[in-house]
This record gives sequence, C-alpha cells and structure tokens, in this order.
Amino acid sequence: MVKEKIMRTAKRVILHLFLLAAVLISIFPFYWMLSGATNSSVNITGGAMWFGSNLKENWSNLQGTANVFLIFWNTIKTTLIYTFLAILICAMAGYGFEKYRSKGKNVVYAMFLLSMMIPFSAQMIPLFKMASKANMLDSHVAIILPTIAMPFLVFFFRQSFQSYPTELIEAARVDGANEFRIFFQLVMRPMKSTFAAAAIYAFMKQWNNYLWPLIVIQSNEKKTFTLLLSSLSSAYYVDYGQLMLAIVLATLPIIIVFLTMQKQFVEGIVGTSK
Amino acid sequence: MKRKMAAMAMTAALVLGTLAGCGKTENAQPETKEEETVADDASGEAAEETETAKEPQSGEEKTITIWAWDDNFNVAVMKEAANVYAQSNPDANVNVDVVSLSKEDVYVKLQTALAGGGSGLPDIVLLEDYVSGKYLNTFPGSFADLTEKFDFSQFLSFKVDAVTQDGKTYAVPFDTGATALYYRLDLVEQAGYTEEDMQDLTWDEFIEIGKTVTEKTGVQMIVEIANNKTTLVRAMMQSCGLWYFDKDGNINIKDNEALKSAFDIIVRMKEAGILYEAESTEGRAGALNNGTVVSVVNAPWFISSIRQAEDQSGLWRAARIPRIAELDSSINASNVGGSSWYVLEKSEVKDEAIAFLQGVWEGNTDFYDTIMLNQGAMGSYIPGYDTGVYDEEDEFFGGQKLNGLFAEILPDVIPVNFGGYVAEANDAITTALANLFEGKVTIDEALEQAEAQLANQLGR
Repeated sequence: MVKEKIMRTAKRVILHLFLLAAVLISIFPFYWMLSGATNSSVNITGGAMWFGSNLKENWSNLQGTANVFLIFWNTIKTTLIYTFLAILICAMAGYGFEKYRSKGKNVVYAMFLLSMMIPFSAQMIPLFKMASKANMLDSHVAIILPTIAMPFLVFFFRQSFQSYPTELIEAARVDGANEFRIFFQLVMRPMKSTFAAAAIYAFMKQWNNYLWPLIVIQSNEKKTFTLLLSSLSSAYYVDYGQLMLAIVLATLPIIIVFLTMQKQFVEGIVGTSK
Repeated sequence: MKRKMAAMAMTAALVLGTLAGCGKTENAQPETKEEETVADDASGEAAEETETAKEPQSGEEKTITIWAWDDNFNVAVMKEAANVYAQSNPDANVNVDVVSLSKEDVYVKLQTALAGGGSGLPDIVLLEDYVSGKYLNTFPGSFADLTEKFDFSQFLSFKVDAVTQDGKTYAVPFDTGATALYYRLDLVEQAGYTEEDMQDLTWDEFIEIGKTVTEKTGVQMIVEIANNKTTLVRAMMQSCGLWYFDKDGNINIKDNEALKSAFDIIVRMKEAGILYEAESTEGRAGALNNGTVVSVVNAPWFISSIRQAEDQSGLWRAARIPRIAELDSSINASNVGGSSWYVLEKSEVKDEAIAFLQGVWEGNTDFYDTIMLNQGAMGSYIPGYDTGVYDEEDEFFGGQKLNGLFAEILPDVIPVNFGGYVAEANDAITTALANLFEGKVTIDEALEQAEAQLANQLGR
C-alpha cells in the first residue's frame, strides 16, 4: 500500500517537472519580449534578461517612427469587421451545405474545398488586378473582402452542424418559423462554442495577415500592424527596444482574445457542443 | 415575438451598416487626401505651366508617392528632400508622400504591381544597386530613362555605372556603401601598434597585426556573420574591380582571382584564430558593443550600430580597408551595397517626379550636408563632398574626420557590373564558404560548386 502511494507520488512529481519545463519553454519568449520592451537596443543585443528602464524611451521612439495609435486602430477595425463578416458568411454557408438538400451540392462543396489547395502566392497577382480594377487599392475593404468566404471555416461549420439534430429544424419549420429565425435563434445559440472557436480562428488569421495587406495597402495612413513590424525590422540599424515594444502591442490583443475565449475554443475544436 | 423580429432586423441593419460604412470611407480615400488640400492652399495658387501642361487636372496639387525603407535613413532623407523642395519651389504645387516599407516589402509590392499590369505603383522607388538590374531586365520599359535629365558626370562613376543599362541611365544615385575598417584603437595600442600602423594595410599585414592583438588582449580581431560572410567577400572582391558577374553580366565565379584570394584570406583568418563568427546581425552588433571584437569592415550606415555603445566613445577609429597583396589590381577602397532612386515610366506625375529629383538631388549641396549630418547618409553627388561637413571632427572616433575619410575613399572605388542577382550569388558563396570551412573541398572546388549552383538557379 505505502509503496504504491510513493510510486504514485513519484510519478506525479516527474510528470509535473516535465510539464514545468514545457511551460518554461513556452513562456520564455513572452517573458523575453516583455523584458526586451523595457531595455535599450544595446542591452538586448548584449543579452539582457531582466527588465530595464528604457520603456519610456522605446515608446517615444516608436511614436516618432509611426503613428502607432492609428495603425492599431486600423488593425482592430479591419480585424473585427472581418471576423464578424467571415463568421456570418461561413456559418450560413456551412449550414446550407449541411442542412439543405440540392442537386450538385457536394460537387460545389468539393470544388470549394479544393480551392484550399491553391497557395495564396498564386492568387496574389490576379487578386491584385481585380482589386485595382474595382478601384479598391489602398483601402481596408480590399483587405477584408477577398478572404471573407474562407473554405476552412465553411468546412469547420459544416462539420459542426452535422451534430445538430435535423429533427429540431424540421419541427421549427412545422411550427412556422422562417429559415433566418431557425438559423439565428435555434441553431446559433447551442453552437456557441463553435462560433467562439471560429471567431478566434478568423481573428488570428486577419490580425496576422501580412502578405495581402502589404500588397494592397499603399499609404502610411492605412497600414496595419504586421506592416509596421516588418518595416521596423529592416532598418540599417534595428532598434530592438522599439521593435520589441511594437511586438508586445501586436501580441496583446491575440493573448486577450485567446485567454477570454479559451474554454469555448477548446470545446469548439473538440466538438462537444451542448 | 415582435421583439425578436426587431432584434433580427437590428442584426441585419448592423451588417448592412458596417458594409455600407466601410464602402463609403474607403472609396473616397484614394482620390484626394485632406492634408494635401490643406498643404495645397498653403503652397500657392497656380501650378507651373511647363511641367503640368499635358496633365488633365493641371492647377490641382499633385502627389508624388515614394516607396523607401528605414524610417531613420532613406525615409527621413526623402522627407527632408520634400521639405527642401517645398521651400525652394513654393509654386511647384506638389505634395511628396514617402511611404515607409521594409526593403523586402518594397520588392514584393513592386514585383506584384509590375506583374499585375502597373496599377498601384509609386512614382519614385528606392532600389538597391545589387537588385535593380533584375527589375530592369524583367520589366523593360517600366522605369523612366533619365539619361538626358541629369548631368551624371557630377555623380560618382561607379554609382552611375550601377544604374546604367545598355547606355541608358535609369536612376539618381543615392547612398553608397563606401567601405571602411572600423577598429578599436585602445585594443590595437595595447598590442603595441599605433593608428599609423593601421593605414593602407594589405590583408596579410592585417592578419599579422590581428594575431598579435588577439594574443595580447584576448579579444578577436575581426567579426563576420557565421552563416553569411559575404560582406568581407564583396568588399575584397570589389577592391580589385571584380564581381560575381563580368561586364557583360555573365557569371564570373570559378575563375575569379579576387574570390580565390578572398576565400584564402578568410580561411587564414579563421585558422589564425582572429575571426569572430557572430551568429546573426544582432550578435555582430552585440559583440562590437560589448567589446568582444576589435574591428569590423562595413559601410557608412553601419556606424550607427557602433555608436550605440556610448561608453566606447573616443576609442574607435576608421581606416581604409586592407587590400589583397597578391593582386595588383586591388586597392584600399571598396563598396558594399548602396541604393538609388528610380522613377516609374507610367507614373501620372512622371515629369513632376523628375523635376523634384532634379531640384533637390542635383545641385543642392546644402541638402547633402543636412542628410550627412542628420542621417549619416553619404550621397553620390561629387560637388557635395567639398563642403565644410567633411572637415568636421567626430568625437566618437577620437576627433577623426570621418566624413572626410569616406569622401576620400569614394572616388577611388572601381565600378563593377552588379548584375542584379547579388542575393542569389551571396547564397551560393555562403554555401561554398561553409563547405570550405568544414574542410570538405578545396577553394577551387568550392568556387566551382558555387558557380554551378548560381548558374542552375538563374537558369543559365
């Protein structure tokens, strides 16, 4: 009995030590990012690990380089609008593919999924031409529109809707509810975690979006955060303090979104919608 | 029930509202910007007739869009140029908009826009001399021919050569990578050498000095980046007037005497234990700032990295780089990098853009003084080197006339044909050097491999 207990405790200690090491490894870059934001560039390249006193100077340097608030606002704006629209459209599409009957539905769906295999770099130039013909260059609409119907999200929603009982939808129809009402009230509510997971996914995707905004945005006033980070890091003399502070600012929203929606995210991915 | 309907209507309205909302704001923007109109009122009434005659909306203010990288260097310099132009030409009626991007981003955007038929392009773009040839070749006719627009004899000949193709000059030369040897005099003196001993060396002499310094101080003599030693290679190569490509643009690696010597010198440095291999560019800056290496070979813009270590003020000196003893063509001057301003042929404000470049970049030595003082940008305009700025003493470099040194080095730099594919060639050379360091191959074999790799990559 006693032996067994000792064995169990030992196992747990080893397990926790292992997990602790894993935590340290994954936390360390974040710690270094934060400490870097408070150090001068010389200290960072010199390998400083502890917090410094340069935060204020880094901030004023960053402010001097670019209009951080405007860039932050641009990024928040495009990301939120994108997330909202992408979820709405992809959820409706996924729902339609799953719950409505129509000829050729699966062929269309298969083609749609196949488009996931075309790399973005191959779509870049045609998309750019389209954007320029539509007079959308240098606008946030051009960032948002092209990927609003994201094959992955449609697929994700369709899979999730499979677990939603069709009988409930039919019963609602018999009771006289129209299709929009069924979708927005009957289907959407119990699938909350699915939507949360999709929201995180779309948010991250747009927040980190780099190549397309780079190509389509022309002026300093329309820039998003990824573009700022990119231009900060390619100077002849890179000010790492300033760069680290910008990275902190760029990372915060994602951390906040993820932490607040983590539970739903995990549930949504695992597929245990209640 | 009704309330629920209302909620749905609200949702729908919200969606439509956001859509309509962004549509409105975005559509308005590309046409005219508000700040410009304000600036317009300030800068006077009528547009200059000569430049704007053929433009449909003459009289209105025009925007010259410029793409460049580095907010503290190129971007700052062009903003200064815009101020100077606005002051000296109050009725030119143009607004200069400098868009700050990273260097790689400039290339990606330019490539996409040129391949996509030419919309969304800037009016002026900064390109490195190392890569511009690629764009001139791939997109012929996309850049304006400036041959007749400037007196290019007033600019450094090696810079003009770099932006000239088939007898046509396509860019206004801007900054140079005049190469110097930056070194810590205090460490060199500890080993018994003087500032005098560091002048006009050969690489053999440099290695000898390096051995003594490393032995006596325990600090390694020179720093290069471990996985990319091409700064040294390129500096040595151009000091002989040779390059990865010959005058006709053909690959010139396996029979390149300068490359052979450069490889040999770098291997000897490594064997002598005087070469510090930094793991990255950050590691290089860190090593210099920490005092773990004595010297570095690089361009004028590198000085800002050295200056970061304020406690080392007065300890640094700069000298001409060593030359290769066994090659008679080798001189104590070279160049690494540099960039120039290109005007896009299809730009709607092409004439205004050229007039702007003429107005500031040609003839205005005060402007060159300002950018030298504020940004440390070393222009290519020869009359610019005659001003008082070049007699100024630099405290960080122990009162040395640092700018004067560059002005002295620059006219000596031998022109070469950069060929447009320097990044690709650098990759091949980096691989070859790594194989050589591992002792797998001889110098000749390493260079043969590099030539084959590059030829394969460029499809030649």
